[in-house]
Amino acid sequence: MASILKVDTITGVATAGSIAVTGEGNSTTTNLQQGLAKGWLNFDATGTVEARDSFNVSSMIDSATGQFGCNISNNMNNANPMAMYDANGSSDGYNLTSGETLGGNGPRAAIVFQTASQFKFHVYNDSYIDGNHNNVGIWGDLA
Amino acid sequence: MASELRVNTLKDASGNNSIATSFVAGGSAKAWANLNGAGTVALRDSLNISGLTDNGTGDYTTSFSNALANTNYSFLTCNSDDATTSGVTTGYAYGVWKVGTSASVYSTGSMRFQMGYPSNQTLYDQKFVNTNVHGDLA
Repeated sequence: MASILKVDTITGVATAGSIAVTGEGNSTTTNLQQGLAKGWLNFDATGTVEARDSFNVSSMIDSATGQFGCNISNNMNNANPMAMYDANGSSDGYNLTSGETLGGNGPRAAIVFQTASQFKFHVYNDSYIDGNHNNVGIWGDLA
Repeated sequence: MASELRVNTLKDASGNNSIATSFVAGGSAKAWANLNGAGTVALRDSLNISGLTDNGTGDYTTSFSNALANTNYSFLTCNSDDATTSGVTTGYAYGVWKVGTSASVYSTGSMRFQMGYPSNQTLYDQKFVNTNVHGDLA
């Protein structure tokens, strides 16, 4: 029988911040809290840098061309969360320069600085560049 | 006392924001790692990572505590080079590629990957290496 649980907060019994979820193989469990993304961001860096949509992001940082960042609303518990950043240009992506080929030679994007409350990221393709489509994901432990 | 909740759908107390529990399990990252890939290679923080192997310059293997169900999982990496103590202002992102095409690369128990300078594909160690796995647990 289908069931629906209506609740605003889910808390572990033994440890409030730790709930096990049974995996797809019906045996192994995974930690619910640690597996959830704690923040994400889709932003446009052309012109005024602004978020299209986001989760747990309070504000954007525009340091210079190709150099961005964000502040988060609810801090992480340390400066070691796992964060991802990917970027590409307009409809056809960035042009590759002479001598570059796909398969590892495209534009590079990375998280370059992180604290419990702030992340900074760069995108570079022979020089720093502003892209139309920028995506960030953050995993780790909330404070 | 430990308890087990069996439910198909979660909603907030107002009956809104419905999500099937299959999305909770399927959408959760099954492993992630933040590691220092330069000097003495070491994990800073992780989920479901039992070990880290330094195969050589820019060449790493992360092992999973709980295996994945198959080798078709999603593996993402995002990396940058050395940082100053005051924070990176000129951090450089290096390219990342998977090692070869054999099944041992995408293994249910581990994942091997390399990174280096894209222009000449020379491997380099990176100080900040982030990896993320989405897929089905065994």
